[in-house]
Amino acid sequence: MYQLSAIELRDKFIRGDLSALQIVDYYLQRIDQLDAKLGAFLAVFHERAREKARALDAKKKAGGKLGKLAAIPIALKDNIHVKGETSTAGSKILYNYKAPFDATVTRLLEAEDAIIIGKTNCDEFAMGSSTENSAFKKTGNPWNLKCTPGGSSGGSGAAVSARLCPIALGSDTGGSIRLPGSFCGVIGYKPTYGRVSRFGLIAYGSSLDQIGPLTLNAADAALVMEVLGQHCEKDSTSLKWAGEDYLPVLNKDLKGFKIGVPREFLEGLNTEARQVFDRSLQELQALGATLVDVDLSILKYALGTYYILATAEASTNLARFDGIRYGLRSEKAKTLDEVYTFSKEEGFGAEVKRRILLGTYVLSAGYQDAYYKKAQKVRTLIIEKYEEAFKKCDLVATPVSPFPAFEIGAIKDPLQMYLADIYSISINLAGLPAVSVPSGFSGDRKPIGLQLIGPQKQDRKVLQAAYAYEQATPYHKEIPPFAERVFT
Amino acid sequence: MAQLDHQAIKNLIALSRIDCTEEEQTKLLQDLKSILAYVEQLNEVNTDNVPPCNHVIKDVANMMREDQIGETMPRETFLANAPSHVGGLIRVPPVIKQQ
Repeated sequence: MYQLSAIELRDKFIRGDLSALQIVDYYLQRIDQLDAKLGAFLAVFHERAREKARALDAKKKAGGKLGKLAAIPIALKDNIHVKGETSTAGSKILYNYKAPFDATVTRLLEAEDAIIIGKTNCDEFAMGSSTENSAFKKTGNPWNLKCTPGGSSGGSGAAVSARLCPIALGSDTGGSIRLPGSFCGVIGYKPTYGRVSRFGLIAYGSSLDQIGPLTLNAADAALVMEVLGQHCEKDSTSLKWAGEDYLPVLNKDLKGFKIGVPREFLEGLNTEARQVFDRSLQELQALGATLVDVDLSILKYALGTYYILATAEASTNLARFDGIRYGLRSEKAKTLDEVYTFSKEEGFGAEVKRRILLGTYVLSAGYQDAYYKKAQKVRTLIIEKYEEAFKKCDLVATPVSPFPAFEIGAIKDPLQMYLADIYSISINLAGLPAVSVPSGFSGDRKPIGLQLIGPQKQDRKVLQAAYAYEQATPYHKEIPPFAERVFT
Repeated sequence: MAQLDHQAIKNLIALSRIDCTEEEQTKLLQDLKSILAYVEQLNEVNTDNVPPCNHVIKDVANMMREDQIGETMPRETFLANAPSHVGGLIRVPPVIKQQ
C-alpha cells in the first residue's frame, strides 16, 4: 500500500477496496515500526486517527458525501495547531503547549475527510535548514539515515519520503518546504504569499511564512492546494481570491512555455548539482519549453536581505514567549524579570537566541536605517527584478540547493548553514509560488530537486510544469530502500 | 548602540530579555559579527529613490474587517496553558516589593 499516492489511496477507499481504518492502521503500523530509526514524528495520533477513520467508514456506509481528501493520512509540521494536541514548533519553550484551537488548514483538511495522523519534527520555530535545531530529536534522511532531511520541515519531508504518510504539511519562510523536498526526493510546494491561511501557524517571519504540502507527486500537491487555497478572514494576510482548480490544468505539456534561467546566479553550484540541473533544462526543452536567459543578478543579495528581515520579524514574533501566559516558566525564577529572562534562557536553543539578538540589533535605534530599511529597499528591487524577468518567461528554473543532503553534524558554522538556502530564499522575499520537484540523484544516491518558480498568483503554472516534468522523468518514482523494508 | 562588541551584546540581551552565560555571549558575538559582515554586502546595492517594501503583494495594503463582537476563547481554555494561575487569573511573582 505504501507505493500508492494520496489520490490512489483515496480512490481505493471510495471504490471500497480499502476501509479508512485499514489505511490508517497500515500507516500507523509503518510509523510504529520505522520511525524509531527515522525520527520524523514528534507525536503520533493513534487513537484520534482511528476514531476519525471509524467515523469516516460509518459515514461512507450511511451513504454520506465523501470529501476530496477522504481517508488520506496527513501529518502536520509541529508548528501547526490541532486543537487539544501539543504544538511545540520544535522548541522546549512550548514543550507542554496544547493548541486551544485548530489551524485553518487543519479545519480545511478535516472538512474534506483527511485524517491527521501526527505531528512532525522541525527546526525550532522553523529556523534552520537541517532539522538539527529541534529541541527534541534529530531526524534522518530516508535515503541515508546519517544525513539530514533538510529543514526546517524535515520531519514532514522524511515522513513522506519514507512513505509513513502520503502527504505532510510544512511551512516555508526561506525554503523550509522546498529544501526537505529536494533532500528527501519528494514534491515540496510553496504557494504564493497569502494563498494559504496561516491562522494557527506559530509565526516566524510574518512577511515571508507560507504553509504548503510535501507530497509524492505533483497531482497530490495540486489536490491539497485545491483544499487549502481559500481566503480566511482570521489571517489578515490571506488574499481575497476565490479558490482555484489545479488538477484540471495538469494534463498538459510545456509547449509554448518559456523557462528563464538566471545563469550568472548559478556559479556556487557543486559539480553534481550543476550536471543534474543542466540535464533538467534539457528535459524541460524536450517537453516543448524554450529556455531564455534572465538577469537576476540581484539575487546575490537575497540571503543578506533575508537574514535582516526574517530575524527582525522573528525577534518581534518570539517576544511573546516569556513564561507568563503559556509554555515553559523557569522554576528558578523568583522575580518577574527572572520569569522572562530565565524562561527564555532555558526554553530557547542557540539558533533561536542568535536570530532574536540579530533581529533586535538590526531594529535598534541607530541601526534600523542601515540594516532593516536598507533590506526593505533591496527587497523592493528583488521583487521588481523578478517582475521584469517574468515579462520574458513563464517560469524561472534554478536548483533548490547548491548541494544534496549533508551529514548530521557536518555544518557547524551558522553562516555556512544559511548558504543551503541561497537559491530558495528570494522566492519568499518576492512572495512567489515555487516547487521542488525530484530531478535526479548524486553519485551516492542522494536526491536533488529542481526548483520551478512562478510569478505571484500563478500557482497553477508552477504545478502544471511540475506535473509535466514529472510525467517525463523517472526520479519521483524512486523509493528509498529504507521505506521498502519488509515488516510483518 | 555602538559597534558590535561585548557591551553591545549585553545591551541586546537586556533588550530581548534573554539570559546568557559569558561563554554564550562570546560565541554570539563571533556569530553575529560574521553574519553582519556578510550582510554588509547590501551596501553595494544602489537603493537611492527605491521605496522600502511594505507589502510583498503589490495591490494589497492593510486588510481590515468589520469590528464585530465574535466568539472569544473561554477563560478556562486559555488558563489551561498557563504555567500558574489563581482565581481565574494568571499568577506571576510580585512586581511591587512588600514592605
